[in-house]
Amino acid sequence: MASSAVTSAEIGSDAPRSDFGRVLAQRERRFAAALLAPAFLALLATTTFPLIFLIWTSAFRMDLAMPFTNGFVGFENYQVLLSDERFWSSLLVSLIYTGSTVALQVVIGLALALLVMDMKRGQGWFRVIAILPVVLSPAVVGMIWRTFMLAPEFGIVDFLAINAGLGGKNWLGDPLLAMVSVIVIHTWQWTPFAFMVLLASLASLPEDIYEAARLDRATAWQRFRRITLPLLRPAIVMVVIMRTMVALTAFAAIFTVTAGGPGTATEILNLYAYRKSFTELSIGYGSALAVALLIVTIIISGVLFAMRRAK
Amino acid sequence: MTSFKPTRRTLLKTGTAAAALATFGPAVLRRAAAQDADLAPYKSASIDWQQASGETITVAVIPASYFENLIALAPQFKALSGIDVRFEKIPPAQIRQKSVIDLTSKTGTYATHAADPMYYALYAANKWVEPLDAYLSDKSLTDSSWFKFDDIIPAWRSANGIDGKLYGMPYDGEVTIQVYRKDLYDARGLKPADTLEAYMSNAAALNTPNDRVWGAALRGVAGAGQNMYIYPSIFREFGGDWMKGGKLTVNGPEAEAALAWYVDIMRKYAPTAAANWNWPDIADAFSQGTVASYIDAHSSASVINNAEKSKVIGKIAYARWPKGPSGKRTTSIWNWGFPINAALPEKRRKATWLFIQWAASAETQARTAHRFAGLTKRSGVNRTSIWRDPDYIKLMNGFGENFVEAAMQALQDDTDVDWRPRVPQWPAIGDTMATAIQSALSGQATVKAALDDAQRRIEPMMRG
Repeated sequence: MASSAVTSAEIGSDAPRSDFGRVLAQRERRFAAALLAPAFLALLATTTFPLIFLIWTSAFRMDLAMPFTNGFVGFENYQVLLSDERFWSSLLVSLIYTGSTVALQVVIGLALALLVMDMKRGQGWFRVIAILPVVLSPAVVGMIWRTFMLAPEFGIVDFLAINAGLGGKNWLGDPLLAMVSVIVIHTWQWTPFAFMVLLASLASLPEDIYEAARLDRATAWQRFRRITLPLLRPAIVMVVIMRTMVALTAFAAIFTVTAGGPGTATEILNLYAYRKSFTELSIGYGSALAVALLIVTIIISGVLFAMRRAK
Repeated sequence: MTSFKPTRRTLLKTGTAAAALATFGPAVLRRAAAQDADLAPYKSASIDWQQASGETITVAVIPASYFENLIALAPQFKALSGIDVRFEKIPPAQIRQKSVIDLTSKTGTYATHAADPMYYALYAANKWVEPLDAYLSDKSLTDSSWFKFDDIIPAWRSANGIDGKLYGMPYDGEVTIQVYRKDLYDARGLKPADTLEAYMSNAAALNTPNDRVWGAALRGVAGAGQNMYIYPSIFREFGGDWMKGGKLTVNGPEAEAALAWYVDIMRKYAPTAAANWNWPDIADAFSQGTVASYIDAHSSASVINNAEKSKVIGKIAYARWPKGPSGKRTTSIWNWGFPINAALPEKRRKATWLFIQWAASAETQARTAHRFAGLTKRSGVNRTSIWRDPDYIKLMNGFGENFVEAAMQALQDDTDVDWRPRVPQWPAIGDTMATAIQSALSGQATVKAALDDAQRRIEPMMRG
């Protein structure tokens, strides 16, 4: 009692307590900042800085083959890009590749999930087997498909096609078939992801709604359209967003299977940016292409996120 | 004076040391003597091999038997020079990019690397590597009467030079020749082709896909060292000129005729899969008996003569590149050379030069080829004298009929240093051309459209 009286007499009336609180809060904030700093710096160094450097580089002509022409060019690389036919064709290839692989993944993944939901036995086994392609490295997947599956005359797919009376096909040497092949490979590898997510969502749907629908004599198709699909919508949109962002920036599997060929038939934008930068050694223009890919990805995922919120 | 009083511990120590000396001494001495004999041919050069002793250098090579043999001998170099050599093996598709990134960043990670001759123009324009002339003429670093630079195959030397200056020392190289199945040719009374026209008609005569034998195969997969390894020879043989009137030209009538010939033979007489094949795939198919003939590097002979896998050993013969309509033969004059990274400190550059001199010397070339103790011997030695050495010839002729004659003639007479345009922009040009060739082969574009498009894309690269 006495000591508290002395303290308040020394310092003042009510003020000390709130001051003390402020100091404590400030210290806590500082401590939190100190804890956060290393992670924040690491994040800056590994993501933000390279991104800014990429944008900065895209404003330069940086051509290793002709070092004497290097220098600041502002937006010139972007002007060249707009009139570069190969940029537009690779963007188109990217969009076709992304659109078709994502659609196929969702449709096949959902179909598989519905099928597996009704399985009485062996569901666990099916899940384990289905997830296998996802854990393989895309480069390995590319090598397997290129050498064992799709080689004309010698590959498994051609062997089956010949035996089925369809005749041999040059799967990776024909522009259209090559595009189909890379879409199939990507779909094969990533459908299990969609399947797992949708299966988990399906399992969490409330059974009583279906019960009520059955009492109202709704057909299976009606139940699917009016109940399952709307309830699964958030999960489907999430799958679409995640798979789209990955498909837009796909690289390893296409690089090992076709390297963008034949000609430029399967050259997605990411591959074109890589070839410009590291094969043609035109770093500035390659950076501009990478920035363009970044912008396209941001726009598309922005639209998808907006769709997710909209009812 | 302190008297020597042996304790139990000193007695034990001395005893163990004496026993060890008695057991291992002779072996150590024998090894030292063997090493001296090993090193004697190098020590006869009048240079101080130890002048950069204590340095460590990293050398990037590709995983290939001709470099493995060199790696196996590296301890001899360490004993000779006191220089540590660390080898890093990088697949051919990546070594060009990795070395360019290292040279651009000037970190000096690779003191030297297996370099593609087409890259020297780029290296020289950026001053990433040192001209080697100064090292060759420096008497404290090179004994020219011992090293005998003039003995190195002239075509490879000129391929590794820009404006008369040497930038890379040839270590191992190859030349393109015709490889064919003698049994199949004899059965139909055919002769190896002397012209591209005859090569096409031979392929037509032998093409029997129903029996799983195709007439011919050439590299089809797109890439600067892949379809662009074979097409430039055809382009030159059809009379094509890369620098027409001083301007880099890849289209025009000669180019169209050359590409049409390539597309024609690949579509009609090569296995469909060959559109995606590089040389190992072709050599594998040939060794399985499914391809009657191919034109590619002479070094693929080791694959088709691999006793464990090949079904055609004893049925193989060789001939020179067929002549084109222009009357010329143009083989590749390709080699892996060693440049010196300009970003190194001076002493390490000396160490690197000593390594390069050792690797390119006649002695090391012989020790990694016919005198190599292991199973795989090199077939791409850099010395004219070795190509004439009876022991080497005996070894090489084991690959099949007419091998050394065809390769020697190709090396000496059938080459053309402007086989490909030697400009710094080559990586970009090679890739653009490779894509154009493949789009013509796959039918994505006509021959003319593919070449005109390539020309349109290449022009801004040259303008600067």
